[in-house]
Amino acid sequence: MEMVIDCHAHLHHHSSRTWQEDDRKLIEAADKLGIDKLCCSILPPRFPSTPEGFQECNRWVAEAMERFPGRVLGYCYVNPGYIREALDEIRRCVEEWGFVGIKLYNEYRCDEPVVFPIVELATELKVPILQHAGHPHYFVEDQPRLSDAGHIAQLARRYPEAILICAHVCGGGDWEWTIKALRNVPNVYLDTSGSVTDEGVIEMAARMLGVERLLFGCDMSMTAGIGKVRSARLSEDEKRKILGENMERILRMRG
Amino acid sequence: MLIDVNAYLGHFAFRRLRYNTAEELLKLMDEKAIDKAIVSSASAITYRNVQSGNEELFEEVKGHEDRLIPFAVINPAYAGWEDDLRICREEFGMKGLRLYPKWHNYELSDPRCVELINRATEMGMVISIPIRVEDYRQRSWLVDVPDVPLDEIAELVRRCPEAKFVLVNGIGFVNSPLGQKGSELPPNYFIEISRLSALLRNEIGQLIENIGAERIVFGTGIPFKYPDPSLVKLEVLEISEDEKEMIRWRNAASVLAL
Repeated sequence: MEMVIDCHAHLHHHSSRTWQEDDRKLIEAADKLGIDKLCCSILPPRFPSTPEGFQECNRWVAEAMERFPGRVLGYCYVNPGYIREALDEIRRCVEEWGFVGIKLYNEYRCDEPVVFPIVELATELKVPILQHAGHPHYFVEDQPRLSDAGHIAQLARRYPEAILICAHVCGGGDWEWTIKALRNVPNVYLDTSGSVTDEGVIEMAARMLGVERLLFGCDMSMTAGIGKVRSARLSEDEKRKILGENMERILRMRG
Repeated sequence: MLIDVNAYLGHFAFRRLRYNTAEELLKLMDEKAIDKAIVSSASAITYRNVQSGNEELFEEVKGHEDRLIPFAVINPAYAGWEDDLRICREEFGMKGLRLYPKWHNYELSDPRCVELINRATEMGMVISIPIRVEDYRQRSWLVDVPDVPLDEIAELVRRCPEAKFVLVNGIGFVNSPLGQKGSELPPNYFIEISRLSALLRNEIGQLIENIGAERIVFGTGIPFKYPDPSLVKLEVLEISEDEKEMIRWRNAASVLAL
């Protein structure tokens, strides 16, 4: 039985009045599209997050894992600027609560030394890091420390045992640049999510990186996420790998 | 029957397009059971003289007029647009226009643009406005072309009540008078679905509620975009079969007088 896993999803922060309904709608959307599992984080409404802020988000993800058993897998979101609290939080989330990975946003660029202890811990725990990323050809003023695929490639070369996921190739700028930047770093996976549905993106990624390195994701652009993979000129076997088998393989690494 | 109101032929300056000849596009349409498509020249988006793109399009669709419905790209700020319009309508048989005000550097409120729309309307042509060509975050370092603001389009549809507009590649209509109940805009515009959500926020559902399914049309954006995201939307929308048929083809057939 083939498994479909969305490698990039978000549950809703509880400061939103409608978070329960919105979370339920996400599961319903997954039901309609045949998505079996969603790898979810909750991000705070304001950045940079404090330790209390990211701890709260992760606690809510853990609660959602109980509310939607078997459907929601947890990513532990942390701000590397609070490194001691971040490392404690990752260990708690993965070892005690069964989270499957780490989500890093844009508080720091992923190749800055402050991030290194997190990568080392992720490698020890054998969990992936989903790194928010994008490469527009202009300076993004509200994300001065936005990582791109080049920074992720740098990090991957420094830590060849780490499992890194470059987030939303279809939601962050020039996707051709992103794919080319990741060509020679086999420990980086590419998440197909984002609202952009440009013809050819999946095929180019498959050709340059190999289908084994592609992970299906939506990042809340649900029909875009499924539709892209459905349209791609790839075999059913290759699509199965992208839709779930590759992520299953990553999830098995921790055992 | 399925009619795609948002398709293109030709080259785009900043990215290689596949399926951008008539033959290839028709093969893709066959695979996806798309019967007919409105097509315009992708090359004309960045040509200075857009008429060259219209000429290329005219040659390309020859023999395929039963399925490919060519729309002209006209730039009312460029010399000779009146001749371009006449030739595209009378000699090339084009049924509508696509306008790119931000790429071609004019305002929709420019009197020349309003005159173009009025003349085209008198000739029985439909006016299609792409809100964007591609996602602004992936733009080339050479250009910085903003999306067409929906409030500028709202003003235009109010100003040209006799014209028929097809708005493609847009989003956020429910936050604009174009997608709200009681906005008192004339019902002379149709909204295409390729960027609208059908789940979670479900903008398509909200638009059906606010302005009616008779104002929503199917489109994909091929070959710039993959066709299946729009097809999946049709599958998951929880609306009646009658409403789906309106979106699939009936509304488009009506506006194109097919």
